[in-house]
Amino acid sequence: MLETVNLSKTYKDKKAVDEIEIYLDKGESVGLLGPNGAGKSTTISIISSLLKPTSGDVRLNGKSTIKDPSEIRKVLGVVPQEIALYEELSAYENLKFFGRIYKVRKDQLEDRIQEVLGMVGLKDRQKELVKTFSGGMKRRVNIAAALLHQPEILILDEPTVGIDPQSRNHILETVKKLNEEHGTTILYTSHYMEEVEQLCNRVYIMDHGKVVASGSKAELLSILSSEDTIQVHLSKTTDALIEKIKNMEHVRQVDETSDGIRIITKKGSSILSDLVHAAEKEKSQIVHYQVEVPSLEDVFLHLTGKTLRD
Amino acid sequence: MGSFFRKDLLVFWRDRKEILLALFLPIIIILVLNTAYSGLFNSDSESVNIDVALVQEDNEALGLERFADAVNGLEMSSIEKETLLEQAAQITPVRLIDDFFSNPELKKWINIKELKEEEATELVETGELDAIIKIPEGFTYEVLSHLMLDEQSEVALTIQAEEQSTEVSVLRDVTQNFIDTINLQFALGGASDAEAKELELPQGGTEVVEGVETFSMTQYFTIGMSTLFALFISQTIAIKTVTEKRERVFNRILLTNSNPIHYLTGKMLATFCLTWLQLVIIFTSMQFILDVFTEKPLVFWIGLLAVITAFALTVAGLSALFTILTLYLHDSNAVSGLTSLIVMMFGFLGGSFFPIQGFPELLRKIGEWTPNGLVQTTLIKLIQFNDLQDLMIPIIFLIGMFIVCLTIGIAFFPKRGRI
Repeated sequence: MLETVNLSKTYKDKKAVDEIEIYLDKGESVGLLGPNGAGKSTTISIISSLLKPTSGDVRLNGKSTIKDPSEIRKVLGVVPQEIALYEELSAYENLKFFGRIYKVRKDQLEDRIQEVLGMVGLKDRQKELVKTFSGGMKRRVNIAAALLHQPEILILDEPTVGIDPQSRNHILETVKKLNEEHGTTILYTSHYMEEVEQLCNRVYIMDHGKVVASGSKAELLSILSSEDTIQVHLSKTTDALIEKIKNMEHVRQVDETSDGIRIITKKGSSILSDLVHAAEKEKSQIVHYQVEVPSLEDVFLHLTGKTLRD
Repeated sequence: MGSFFRKDLLVFWRDRKEILLALFLPIIIILVLNTAYSGLFNSDSESVNIDVALVQEDNEALGLERFADAVNGLEMSSIEKETLLEQAAQITPVRLIDDFFSNPELKKWINIKELKEEEATELVETGELDAIIKIPEGFTYEVLSHLMLDEQSEVALTIQAEEQSTEVSVLRDVTQNFIDTINLQFALGGASDAEAKELELPQGGTEVVEGVETFSMTQYFTIGMSTLFALFISQTIAIKTVTEKRERVFNRILLTNSNPIHYLTGKMLATFCLTWLQLVIIFTSMQFILDVFTEKPLVFWIGLLAVITAFALTVAGLSALFTILTLYLHDSNAVSGLTSLIVMMFGFLGGSFFPIQGFPELLRKIGEWTPNGLVQTTLIKLIQFNDLQDLMIPIIFLIGMFIVCLTIGIAFFPKRGRI
């Protein structure tokens, strides 16, 4: 349905997006993950026709959208990271304005406004000015505004940043419903791995403007199938001890975390006795030891060397 | 287009601070300026006091004698010669000037005293006198020859002043009025002799503004301040684009496939309506509070409304230009600074702060073609003459400015979100 072909964008000497190839099939829900500065927002802006690529193409049903973006704009709903609303207007007034300029038929507009307000759970607050809303409520209206013209594809750029858990759940439920019940194709970017895991069938992981991995959750997890992740909590962690662990046989990576240290080892290898021995030598004790089932977060860390919130 | 228009009006209406600035601030400023400067600048006749010296360099008796010699040298009957000399004796120009300034009504606010040139010049330089009216040597002979024998005249009545001021301007107008009246009387008198051509009394000296009525400073402040604040509406509406851009609302608008012209037209229509309302409210308020346009005929109010409408269109065009500027400049402070600078420059050159009549020639010419300057000049003319025909060309120019701004706006509107 929608694909990018060798999509690149260069600002002065910096490549923000580097020959990206992603595709979205009809009715799919696809996640786009990457740390800050990975090029996600630039990619979204190009796909949305708001930014011209330096090279490459964006195709909708095989037809380029670069020269004439009007076709893609008709089927696209974009929820930007920012609250793209008029704060001085009420939720209803905002939706009415955007509905009109989206050319929603006059006789359908009122019903459509009530429908999207219902979707985001703000029917009873529609007459209030947006500037009086909480961050979460604003984000919900932000989504509602992108749904007015019943888009076939919905692009959401980190729609849950900085909001309360209630609004977050509401947004996730809405997106899930849109995808599953209305068949809307979703492209979802987020800092929250669990959101992507919950919502998306496939995931693209971006770093430094490139797609470093892609596939379904199972496919991505298989990247770590040759490794085990061990979470260890020590009574005392010293640089010397970490250095010793790094030099142990089968250990591939050691990272300090807030709970202790995370050790990635060759799958099936046991380092427990070596670890106890090393800790004793450094006058430390193992408080907690757990072999973790790898998550997408681990895959992300493995591929980019960063956590999602870096 | 209607959606954009309604949205822009609503956004403006919800911003109470902007409404206060657009409507109440100009009214307050006009009232303050009117109170503060009424004593200094008021050119209403009852409060103007002009001190002027009359420097008499002409010898009237000698002039009459020369005129008699000239008449006697002509080939005409002695009866004709006698008639001419009798008429000349009755209308000696110097006496006419003396009589005119001795008029009790005029003496209430023009204090004239006869002085030697050196003394008068000194007093003008020290500021004790506003101006000098100089009757040059040979004036009587030249004027009589010009008026009665149709000879070319080389001398002229001059008004000298140290600097341009309202007093000097009023004095010029009064003197010009007097000369026009004399000319008219002669022209009418000559009509019975079958040759009814208008004669001109040589006046000369510094430039004289045509027309006989002056405008009051209250009227000046009302026009100056209201047009200045109207220009600020174009900035206010355009600056909203900064917010639309910063908060990505503009991108959302682009994604709706909306025609750029609709977006711009919405801004312009909103600016037009707000400017028009603002001007009407300010002028109406000032009329009620200060009775700024006393006893003006209906034709004046029609003209005023026509000029306001044309000016509101120009301001709307300006808002399109400022909107484009806002879309091209990425720094919101730069946008705000630049548009403020443009408006203030218009304000200065267009005479919103000081009357452009006091500007040097070049600045005055430039100022007269700024939108607010053009409106100011046009409305002052309307106050003086109440003639709708005087409005035609300025209104065409104001509409022309609007069309130019609109064309530039459409040509440069970005097709994508970022440039």
